Amino acid sequence: MNAVLEIKNLSVTLKRGGRDVTILDQLNLRIAPGEMQALVGESGSGKTIAALAIMRLLPPGAAITGEILLNGENLAAAVEPRMRQVRGKSVAMVFQNPLAALNPSRTIAAQIGEAWRVHQGGSAAQARARALELLDEVGIPDPKNRLNDYPHQFSGGMRQRVMIAMSLACSPHLLIADEPTTGLDPLIAQQIMTLIARLRRERDMAVLFVTHDLSVVQEHADSIHVLYAGRSVEWGAAAAFFQHPRHPYSEALLGSVARLGQARLRNIPGNLPEPEQRPPGCRFAPRCAYASAVCSTAYPPADAQGATLAACFHPLPRTARPAFAETLAPRPARNFAPLLDVTDLGVRYRGAGGWFGAARRLPPSLAEVSFRLGRGECLGVVGESGSGKSSLGRAVLQMIEYDGQVTLDGHDFHAMAGRAKRDLRRKIQVVFQDPRESMNPRMTIGEVIAEPLRLRGGLNNAARRARVEALLGQVGLNPEMAARHPGDVSGGQAQRIAIARALAAEPELIVLDEPTSALDVSTQAMLLNLLKDLSLKHALSYILISHDFAVVSYMSDRIAVLNAGRIVEMNETAALLSAPRAAYTRALIGAAPQLQPMQA
Amino acid sequence: MMKMILRRLASSCLSLFILVALVFFLAHLTPGGPAYSILGQKATPESVAQLNQRLGLDQPLLKQFGLWIWHLLHGELGYSYLLNRPVGQLLWVYERNTLIFYTVSIIISTALSIALGLIQGVWFGRWPAKLIGAFQLGFYALPPFFVAAMLILWFAVDVHWLPASGIIDLRDPHAGIASFAAHLVLPVTTVSLLTVSSLSRYFGEAVHEELGKDYVRTARAKGVSFASILFRHVMRNALRPLITILGLSFPYIFTGGVIVESVFNYPGLGWLMWRSALSQDYPILIAIVLVIGVLTVLGNLLADLVNGLLDPRASYE
Ligand SMILES: Nc1ncnc2c1ncn2[C@@H]1O[C@H](COP(=O)(O)OP(=O)(O)OP(=O)(O)O)[C@@H](O)[C@H]1O
Ligand code: SF4
Ligand SMILES: [Mg+2]
Repeated sequence: MNAVLEIKNLSVTLKRGGRDVTILDQLNLRIAPGEMQALVGESGSGKTIAALAIMRLLPPGAAITGEILLNGENLAAAVEPRMRQVRGKSVAMVFQNPLAALNPSRTIAAQIGEAWRVHQGGSAAQARARALELLDEVGIPDPKNRLNDYPHQFSGGMRQRVMIAMSLACSPHLLIADEPTTGLDPLIAQQIMTLIARLRRERDMAVLFVTHDLSVVQEHADSIHVLYAGRSVEWGAAAAFFQHPRHPYSEALLGSVARLGQARLRNIPGNLPEPEQRPPGCRFAPRCAYASAVCSTAYPPADAQGATLAACFHPLPRTARPAFAETLAPRPARNFAPLLDVTDLGVRYRGAGGWFGAARRLPPSLAEVSFRLGRGECLGVVGESGSGKSSLGRAVLQMIEYDGQVTLDGHDFHAMAGRAKRDLRRKIQVVFQDPRESMNPRMTIGEVIAEPLRLRGGLNNAARRARVEALLGQVGLNPEMAARHPGDVSGGQAQRIAIARALAAEPELIVLDEPTSALDVSTQAMLLNLLKDLSLKHALSYILISHDFAVVSYMSDRIAVLNAGRIVEMNETAALLSAPRAAYTRALIGAAPQLQPMQA
Repeated sequence: MMKMILRRLASSCLSLFILVALVFFLAHLTPGGPAYSILGQKATPESVAQLNQRLGLDQPLLKQFGLWIWHLLHGELGYSYLLNRPVGQLLWVYERNTLIFYTVSIIISTALSIALGLIQGVWFGRWPAKLIGAFQLGFYALPPFFVAAMLILWFAVDVHWLPASGIIDLRDPHAGIASFAAHLVLPVTTVSLLTVSSLSRYFGEAVHEELGKDYVRTARAKGVSFASILFRHVMRNALRPLITILGLSFPYIFTGGVIVESVFNYPGLGWLMWRSALSQDYPILIAIVLVIGVLTVLGNLLADLVNGLLDPRASYE
């Protein structure tokens, strides 16, 4: 069959710090009409750069070599005026974060209509009619009345639908979607993916779908292309890939995805190398369990002995251990001494009030929430965005005002004051999604971790330094890290530092608010394992708030499901997963992307 | 929307009251007094006391202030001590001159700022932007009276192209529109040079920032041409900060205007204010402060209203 897109030997060089750095190296891929291909890799592997290269929208100073054949025409050699005719007409692109990707001060009718008029001409009224059709096609309810609305008047999922409608305006042959669902909650994300899958079937449109989420790939993609440090490591049919990954990196990546009921996550040791520091030969060699001397001599050729192609000297044979070696054992039930008691918790935020007018009354963000948490126990809190998960965490942390009672170790926070209350508060610490936001960029990491120690007093400088080093060791970081600044560490490292800082206060409970959502799967696995070990060692309790059902079920002894500020269901993890009682829980579990276990 | 306007006006009334009170007391507490300006420095203490009594200046300050507010509420601004005419009537002529002066200046500076800012935003970091940037910094650092003096020296004294000063009154039958316009050129140029230097810089940075945003990439991905991106997408979003800054810089423009009007002998409010301050003609001085205050408030409100039209996200509840 003729390919819609065929990329041959594509390399991209960008200017970084005044030098040319090769970001993407010798990429080869093909997409047939109606095919959905996933481009997968960790953050920084070059996925977005590949997508932007096809559109020829790379940042200034970029240089490309190789061929990008779209229906036989080489876009790599096309001039800018020609590219303007191609963009939006033959290839369209959907971006991550639709709020930023849409112009805030133009109506959606204008923005969708523009995509059509740029290429087809026509009157404003015709463009409007086309926009209406498209909005209807992507499932915006009551599209007629939404035409004159602005992007901020839509929810995240709706905005992404608007983005998709815009990209479809001229019926492109190829749609590139760069992380179209990242940042959306799972229910909405699934709707968006289903929409894209339906549209490409109905329109026989090829889709190149950029993501780091393997479970979404398994559910929707026909074929897969895995990048590591700017080079292809494995590519071929998606089903075969998930059945028998052949590249050690693919295997490791699949192994680190959290799955329901798993006893232990596997993680990949080490970090993705920066483009300037890529090792010679196979780029995965320093982290590879199968590496031999030959691996560092040259980049491995593609091995075609299996169902997929793998660039590896020692591809895994069919009979190798399956991607998921762990048994999905049920978690043994444990008994916990009581620690936290939450009774009838309610939170109501005040709306924006005027200078003179009274503040508007908003509906409660949390109502009648009661639960107990034992020492060393982990309670998972799930629910879609806006369901009150973070409000619950903040109330327990005493960061916001609330009704009802929060009792820790038998002490009711509302009945305490002054120093005693501060001491009690210190026993509950927090780790957020983006830890760097809560770190002063001018402080060193050592100072960041030492802050809670200093607040508590009682330690001299030398003792404090020793404690900081011990804490860094506990979270698996090098003591030399203490001298660095929050700006020069990776996301995973920053999250470990945040955990070390929380531990410094010697807490009994840590509220984890989406601790791994910003991280790649391999980093996420490392962090979750670390948290689990710490909890066992110090009888530390967690309240884990997350979108990701798999992560929550991996970590938690019990799960509470929140909907519109109320707990609709709370149960032991295994029981909740196997026999969810509330319809809402069933919907959430159904929408959660899940890697299906494979038979070897 | 209407509620927002009313609320803003109500809170502005309070600010204006404080402003006027402050100027009133400061002015009355300065030594000397209008009697000396009227009677001359050699006036006898008796005649001064007599005059003060006639003008009501011997009353306690608080009572004088109360009286002034009372008159204001009845639409009267009092009498000028020196010119012996109702302040309201006097002010109108000067106010008209000033309004023409500022309106022309602001229109010209905004247009120029947009043009320069676009160049600067599009060629950010390259030589056209750097060249403009050097001029902006230069003019930004110059004091208004210096610019005014230089312009007078070049265009009025050296080459005699333009009159340096001397417009007396718009009502003068000999002074046609052409002569009036000619008299406006130098003061308007001075104010514009000074405001453009900062406004265009803000606008240039706003354009540059907007061009780096994701929605611009989206527009490019649709195949929209650069010119359309600039004028249909970027312009409107970049204008918002410009208008806010413009609204906030009204007081600054007015104070610059006082100096410029005085240097060019342009009979506007600034000029009158300067004169009244020298001769301690309090009623005029305070009335002018009030008028300038009101103009600032209205200018700010207008800026916010225009911004509200440009930004669909702004909601006034
Ligand atoms: N404008 C740029 N200038 C210089 N380097 C860049 C630029 N954009 C990206 N890079 C670098 O290129 C490499 C690949 O980046 P790319 O954005 O393609 O990663 P990605 O796979 O899309 O990651 P993510 O999952 O985080 O989106 C990274 O090392 C990144 O730092
Ligand atoms: S080539 Fe060698 S180092 Fe690279 S993945 Fe294969 S076995 Fe590992
Ligand atoms: Mg990316």
